[in-house]
This record gives sequence, C-alpha cells and structure tokens, in this order.
Amino acid sequence: MSLLERAERNIDAVAWQGEIPIQNRYTVGLAGERFLRELKESGRLLGSRCPECDYVYVPPTLYCERCFEKLDDWIEVGPEGTVVSFTIVTQALDGTPLADPDILALIRLDWADSLLVHRLGKVSLDELEIGLWVKPVLKPKNRREGSILDIQYFAPAYHEE
Amino acid sequence: MSREVAIIGVGYTGFRALTPDVSYKELMYEAAVKAYDDAGVDPRSDIESFVTVAEDFTEGTSIFDEYVPDQLGAVLKPVHTIAGDGLHGFIAAYMQILTGALDIVAVEAHSKASNILTPQHIMAYAMDPVFNRPLGANPHFIAGLEMNLFLSETGTTREQCARVVAKNRRHALYNPCAAFGATIEPEDVLASDTVAWPLARLDISPHADGAIVVVLASKQRAEELCDLPVWVTGAGWCNDSFSLENRDWSSAVYAAKAGEMAYRMAGIRSPWQELDFAEVDDTFSYKELQHMEALRLCRPGEAGVLVEEGVTELGGDFPINTSGGSLGMGNLLDASGLARLLEVILQLRGEAGQRQIPDVTTGMAFGWRGLPTTSGAAVILSNGYEEV
Ligand SMILES: [Zn+2]
Repeated sequence: MSLLERAERNIDAVAWQGEIPIQNRYTVGLAGERFLRELKESGRLLGSRCPECDYVYVPPTLYCERCFEKLDDWIEVGPEGTVVSFTIVTQALDGTPLADPDILALIRLDWADSLLVHRLGKVSLDELEIGLWVKPVLKPKNRREGSILDIQYFAPAYHEE
Repeated sequence: MSREVAIIGVGYTGFRALTPDVSYKELMYEAAVKAYDDAGVDPRSDIESFVTVAEDFTEGTSIFDEYVPDQLGAVLKPVHTIAGDGLHGFIAAYMQILTGALDIVAVEAHSKASNILTPQHIMAYAMDPVFNRPLGANPHFIAGLEMNLFLSETGTTREQCARVVAKNRRHALYNPCAAFGATIEPEDVLASDTVAWPLARLDISPHADGAIVVVLASKQRAEELCDLPVWVTGAGWCNDSFSLENRDWSSAVYAAKAGEMAYRMAGIRSPWQELDFAEVDDTFSYKELQHMEALRLCRPGEAGVLVEEGVTELGGDFPINTSGGSLGMGNLLDASGLARLLEVILQLRGEAGQRQIPDVTTGMAFGWRGLPTTSGAAVILSNGYEEV
C-alpha cells in the first residue's frame, strides 16, 4: 500500500468547500448577429448556404466546416420543419424533478441541412413522434430581444392558431 | 511499422462512489506508486516525461495542469496536461516515445467526481452559449435525443439497451475494483425513473472516484525492464463537429473514424474476427451498442441482438466490457478511457482473475469524452503471443 495512513473515521475526513462567481460575455459574431437580428426584426429564420457542398447551415456560419470555404449566400429557411428526434426530459438542469416535462427536439427546418435544437410546446404525448411537422411560435415583436429564446417553442404545424 | 512501444506498468486506485479518506493528489500518488512498482522504474531517475489528462471545471481549480507534477514524481521534468479522454493522453505519451527522443513516459488520469457539487451545471456550461445554453435544459437531453434516434433508426429496443446494463453490472461483480457490481434484470433498468426519455436512470453510468497511471517504454527498454510487455499495435482518434446543429446524430462517426485509423495502423481488416475482445465506452447503455456498430464489431443494427444472445458477455464469443465498463466500474470522467485500457492490459497479461478470458492475444479499448462531446479514441494492444 502506497499510503501508510488514511482517515479511518468518517468524522475525521475534512473537506473545504469553495465556489466562485463565473460570468462571461459571448460575442455572437457576424453570422450569429445576422441570424438573431433577422429573427428579432422580421421573425424570419436565416441560414447560410455552401454552394460547393450544397449544405445549408442554421444558425448560419461564415464558413463551411465541410470544405472550409467562406460562405456568403444567405437564404431564408423554414419556418416549418420536421422533428428528427425528440426527448422527454423530466429533470431540471440541476437534477431536481420537473412538474411538467421538458420536450426537446432536433428540428430540420425546410430548406436547411443542419438541425436546430429547440423546445416543443402545445404538443400532446400522443402526437409526439419522429417526423412530426412543426412550426415556430415566436414572442410578439415588441418582446423579442435578439435571442434564440425569441422562438418560444415549436408546435405542431397543422394546429390552428 | 514505426518504433515499437509497450506498456510496462500499470497502477490504479479506487474505484468507489466516495473517497473521503484521500485527496485527489493522494489518489494520483497511490496509483503512481503502484504503476512505478509494477514497471520497476523510479520516476525521479527513469521516467523522462509525464502526460496527464484533466479539465479545470471538473477539478474545481483554474490552470489545474500546474497541480500535477509533485504527486507523480514529475517535479522538474517535462510534464503536460491535455484535455480529452484518458486515451487521448495515452496516445500523446505513445507518440512521445515514437519520436525517438524519449524512452519511458507515464500517463495519468483520475476522477474525484464525488467532490463536484454541481456536475450538471458544468456539463451545461460546455454547450454553445448563444444557441443551446439559453434553453436551460438538463444536459442529459442530448443523450435522450441521440438514444431515441438510435433506437428508431436501427430497430434496437430499450430492452436490449437494458441488457447492456445488466451484463456490465454483472461483469463488475467479478472485478474487485469495480464500484457498482450488481445482479439486476433488464426489467429493473426499464422500471427506473426516466431522465430524458427513452433514457432512464439506470441507463446512465454513475460517477466514481479513482486514478490510473500507465507507464510506456520503447521496445529496447521494455524488453530490458519487463517480462510481460503489452504492445501498442494501433491508435486512432477523431472529433466530429462539436455543434449540436451539425454533428452526425445518426452514427458515432467519431468512433468509426478513430477505429479505422487504429485498425489501419494495426493491419486489422476484420475487427470482429481479428480482435479477441474489446472494452468500449458505455457511459450510457445505448452508447456501448452504438460504438460497437461504429467500430465494426458487428453489422449496423446488430449490436442489440448480439447482447441479447449473450455474445458480448463473459464466456461469449466476443466479450465486451468484462471490467464492468463505466456502468459497472463507474464513470471516471477523464479517466474512463484509461479504465477501458486497464482492463485490456490486465486481460492480455492474464491478470484479470475471475473474469479472465482464456487465450487472448489482441484487444481494443475505445473511449468517448462524454457529453456533450463527439470526441473518441481507440487503442489496440497485443501481448505478442501467437494465436492458439
Ligand atoms: Zn462546403
């Protein structure tokens, strides 16, 4: 044994507790800003297209991660899309139980290739399935602040308003 | 073949859900003393360089890499810490010897997960701050999304995933250093609380504490120092796009590419036939199956059937995770990949005790860096014995 002595009683095992406040600011970047401004001002969803790879990035990026070309072809995508996968989350971020489950989904917006990660709402567990057709439900324009949360959630597209 | 490299010593301590009796430095010290004793080397005079694998947020210390030399016997020596899975660190140490500049190098990774009071917050803080983190969701949602897609696309069932848990927990019963050995039925897994449907609580490997140190040496030094060198015959690693938007959700392509790189180096064309066994990341139950398929240990969609038929259990044709895997030994954070490697080393030395697989010559370890990453590494080892 490499350690000759150890704490042998639980009450002898001393621990010190530490914490630090961590705060950061994240520049969203040129492409991110273009996406978030468009969402806030017009409620439209913007992607960037690589003509070489015929691939549309949403949220848009300034470069193609497949061929490494710079991108400058901005196209409107969605607003409807298809659920590629979903999950029903029953715990909050800190692990505590949620009163209402949180439904997260991968959504392929029409005309896009990448998958947007967002929340589903106004959907019953019965109709929840891969392939479900959904549309975004936005905050009213005066409450939008240029954030991904300007989309409140995606709801089944065939529901009446 | 470039310069040959062998493992000449291994030391480990743990693996337990709690280790209140020792600090992380003492865990590392204990594993290091055992590894150096096993290798018959003095760290102060014989080991030329040290690699450790750690992450500041899980250690709770900024610039954590500065905190590693003393407990490894590495003061005033070349030391560097990398971020990744333990196998990434192992490959970094391997490459140092491949350069020809160094002959004996040690690699270390550990987990003091029981000291992390807010692990889910740390995992959530690893997500894209602008597009993903504002959703404020429990980060296990990523595993839930991936598992649902995997089941739907391959026809694998939740029951088959639950069988992985039952198998690995049972294997852990035969591993004296595993923290979570148990006899449980697949039904127990299915009946456990949902976390991110279809992922349930028992589909998730619980955290454990422990440390692992491996000593590597060039062929010449290995043959001088060691009766039972275990040879590194292949290594590969790969990262898919990290973004949730652009990664390949359908298959663990990072595992497929890491595997192909390692197979190419080892001259392996048909891994299922040419390897005797494997240790494959099982941070979540479905991950073992998804990684098996990506690593070509079976055909696509076949992994669930193989676990059902008992092919991958101890005594089966192709045992997987005889150590108990992360589900049975515990999720060791950055040390998880080294835990997979540790079992391959013990099996190839014939030191796996009750869970020893007879007549093994070649095995593979595959590690995944865990949520929310798409980063994996594969290492193939051989004891140099001829196939019987
Ligand atoms: Zn391109």
